[in-house]
Amino acid sequence: MQTKKIFLWTLLVMLALFATACVPAAPGALPAAGGEASSAEVEEYTTPHPILSDLRVRQALAYCIDRDALIASVYPYVEDGAALRMDSFLPQTHWAYNGPYSDLPQYDPEAGKALLEEAGWAAGDGPVRANADGELLVLKFATTSAQFRQTWSAVMIQNLADCGIQIIPTYAPASWWFGDTTGLARRDFELGAFAWVGQADPAGQTLYACDQIPLPSNNWEGQNYMGWCNETASRAIVAANNTLVREERIANYDIVQQEFAKDVVSIPVFQRAEAEAWSTNLTGVIPDATEYATTNIQEWALADGGDTIVVGMTQEPDSMWALVSSMAAQRLVDRAAKGVITSQYNYDFQPVLQDGLSTLESGLATNEVVEVTAGDQVYDIGGQAVTLEEGVEVVDAEGNPVVYDGTSTVSMNKLTATYKLLPFTWSDGTEGTVADMELGAQIDCDPLSGATSLSGCQSIGNPEVEGDIMSKISFSDSALEMTVSYLPGFQGPTYFLYPFNLYPSQQVLSDGRVLADVPAEEWVTLPEIAERPLSFGPYFVKEWNKGQSLVLEANPYYAGEVATPNVIFVFVADTNQAVAQLLNGDVDYLDDSTLGAGAEVQTVIDAAASTGAVDYEISASATWEHIDINMFTK
Amino acid sequence: MTAYLIRRLVQMLIVVFGVSIFMFFLFNIAPGGPLTGLQQQQRRISPEELARIRAQYELDLYWPIRYTRWLVGWPQGPLVIDGQEWFANVPVGCYMEATPEQGGGCFNYVYLSEMPKIHPPIKSSRGILFGDFGQSTVVQAGRPVWDLLTSRLWATVELQVISLVLSLAIAVPLGIYSAVHQYSKFDYVFTTTAFVGSSMPTFFFALLFILGFTILGGRLQELWPWWPTLPPGLREAVRPYDVANWLNRVDPGSALDRFLHLLMPVGVLTIVSVASWSRFLRSSMLEVLRQDYVRTARAKGLIERVVINKHALRNALIPFITIIVLQIPLFFAGAIVTETVFAWPGMGRLYFDALSRSDYNVALAFIYVTTILTVAATLLGDILYSIVDPRIRYS
Repeated sequence: MQTKKIFLWTLLVMLALFATACVPAAPGALPAAGGEASSAEVEEYTTPHPILSDLRVRQALAYCIDRDALIASVYPYVEDGAALRMDSFLPQTHWAYNGPYSDLPQYDPEAGKALLEEAGWAAGDGPVRANADGELLVLKFATTSAQFRQTWSAVMIQNLADCGIQIIPTYAPASWWFGDTTGLARRDFELGAFAWVGQADPAGQTLYACDQIPLPSNNWEGQNYMGWCNETASRAIVAANNTLVREERIANYDIVQQEFAKDVVSIPVFQRAEAEAWSTNLTGVIPDATEYATTNIQEWALADGGDTIVVGMTQEPDSMWALVSSMAAQRLVDRAAKGVITSQYNYDFQPVLQDGLSTLESGLATNEVVEVTAGDQVYDIGGQAVTLEEGVEVVDAEGNPVVYDGTSTVSMNKLTATYKLLPFTWSDGTEGTVADMELGAQIDCDPLSGATSLSGCQSIGNPEVEGDIMSKISFSDSALEMTVSYLPGFQGPTYFLYPFNLYPSQQVLSDGRVLADVPAEEWVTLPEIAERPLSFGPYFVKEWNKGQSLVLEANPYYAGEVATPNVIFVFVADTNQAVAQLLNGDVDYLDDSTLGAGAEVQTVIDAAASTGAVDYEISASATWEHIDINMFTK
Repeated sequence: MTAYLIRRLVQMLIVVFGVSIFMFFLFNIAPGGPLTGLQQQQRRISPEELARIRAQYELDLYWPIRYTRWLVGWPQGPLVIDGQEWFANVPVGCYMEATPEQGGGCFNYVYLSEMPKIHPPIKSSRGILFGDFGQSTVVQAGRPVWDLLTSRLWATVELQVISLVLSLAIAVPLGIYSAVHQYSKFDYVFTTTAFVGSSMPTFFFALLFILGFTILGGRLQELWPWWPTLPPGLREAVRPYDVANWLNRVDPGSALDRFLHLLMPVGVLTIVSVASWSRFLRSSMLEVLRQDYVRTARAKGLIERVVINKHALRNALIPFITIIVLQIPLFFAGAIVTETVFAWPGMGRLYFDALSRSDYNVALAFIYVTTILTVAATLLGDILYSIVDPRIRYS
């Protein structure tokens, strides 16, 4: 009887859950509070933080943190820890870095303490400073529960305690901290630590522009989690992302970096170290911070004459279709088994299959001033294809943000670029054609394809309007060449890179259809795309044993030389296991996403010293740890 | 018995349904999800783009709607009767939320009429009840979950069956011998060892094995050339290797290669099982040995071997049935830690991957099948009880 009651109650609760979850909230529902009360409400994160809005406190925080000690705590094996230290949001080897930026305080606890005294936070009898009202200098610090961050933040907490600042840490699961409606996305922190992944293009508009501060009123859009609005920096970051001239970009990034250092809204802690290791039997590996090692895998060879290179990875690719995946493991395989159109070594770009970068200097691109008026399609300041109408904000030909008044004419830059490819052959022996380029543009810009981003397509037209994008691209009849007419206002800094993937349009699928005839929404389910795509690169996928390995074989139609006929990627799940496989001679190479920079690196270093059977490279990663300071409070 | 079985089957259905809805609800409210990584990408993600990506994971639909689509593949769109669409304007989700300035709530609803366009049938499940587990969204984006499960299933079955047989073959004699020779030297050594074995986590033994037979294996071989170095993980090698001076050149993919790859994971699972099962059996045996009927058997003058094997052991094994039948779900579920540490391409590792990367379809399919196997194994255990123990009657 009791059991029946429990079942009945359980069912009732479930039905109630169902019912409540299905009831839609009324569109435009009024806030729960009454009119007067709601009008008096202050929007979240628009009230300056009582402690952190004071520049002196922020500077003191930076002075009190010993970055070298933090680096040593997590990378005891790195001999020159200072090489990982940062004074900007760009690494010192980046082309847009123009430092040093000495305004960003480096470790000097006495200077930090003096600033705190000046700001009214006096040292008393206790270990924590207090202000005249007796309020203690206590700050909340949030980050992920990763052991790595707990380790360096423990040193940081001690550093700050030595200056009289008490830190209350929260080590939250990454799912909360990086959740789409929790943690960072809702600016739920005072001091918050996480990492950005640096790129060859510095970007940064979404991080440092005034209009990119996430707030309830803009539906938490933007990544300026600090709430930093420095007009000079904001203008410069917008300008840096809306010009195609590298010198202008460097000058603008310099301004942003100077202001960033002066305002101390985020403390760059260090560039992460990253390690990769390989058997000394393997030659040809080129470690690089911004390019995947397998980009030159056709040059890798085994000194003992072996015919199979084995690469160990802790992650298995989610798909062989790069359009729907953003995994590093996917890129690592994709470089070898699909091919590369351009590479990104040393924070810069190099053409591979593309016949020269389509830069203004090469004459393959032009940037002309056009007049636009109401009703024209333009690229707005936020990176969307929109119809020009009153209130739309665009960047004019001079690089200034303009809010359109609805009637006048605006001068805007219009970019046109011609992209050429070198002749290539697919791994089934068919020649690459301009139809393959056309199919690439069509599928990559179809919202139903499952693409992780359509931002590149939005610079050409509106992907939601059928045919809009294809109408702005003209394909050559005689050569592997296409000309893209970008929307007025688009000044994307990587415009010179071929913008789409290539697909073998004439490939006949196992069900008899031709690839070009398959609707975009089906592509992600096609084994010919997701598991065994044709390749124009040095290898192609011969076999994918799920959970175990991906077997590649040299592409007989590849334009260049391939030093080793076979490559096998094995999935080993765990870094310890991967290192064991390397030391045992079962794998030849571990990339940085597999080996990481944890304690296992020491095992590799010891093995290299004692046996000489492995080699390794520890370098400064493009990924950098930092502490964001939220200058506003809820 | 028939009435009992029918009652149990109905209860099983309710439990499976309850677990499925509860797990679906839990996944729905848990923080994180497949969109977690978006926050770490250094680029502008417009509300329209976010809405499109959410829709790719069906996160735009209300969770009960997602649940019914997952369970029975319904709804796929408006109801069509005689060419006429019904309930076409019923909202089944929120495609894009409104900002507070827009009044909050939902800015753009998903109506049943739009469902076939936003969620094409080719990407939708026909329902787990009809054997369609849907498509993986993260682990193997766009590929059928069932293909993913079956690609890992046999590796797990192989590992679990071999370790089960080995564990039984070792644990049962050990437990009996220890119980029969209670307080002997062997018993003290056995109980201490078993206590240590059952207290240590699985990964400890796994790492110990890898250290001893792989990482330090080469150095140990310099001292003792007969010391074997074993492959640290995976199911088979990709290139030939040597084991010791008495076993040179093992070819990848050969039966010997497969056997050598099984040694360490099976060894770890067996050690852990033997440690706990033999202790269990020892206790059970000791309890039975104190029973009157055992004393009676001895008083009748039966030889000790018959008393132990025929009268004591058979009764001592009865509670052991519960432990054994509950191993059945593990044939599917695998051993998460062991498979992960040894890179064994089995179900446990797949589940770990699916959970850590928020592939809900894979994780739910795994839980669903494991739940069915668990309740079925429990029922089987109860039935076996009534067969082996005549004192038990279900009515």
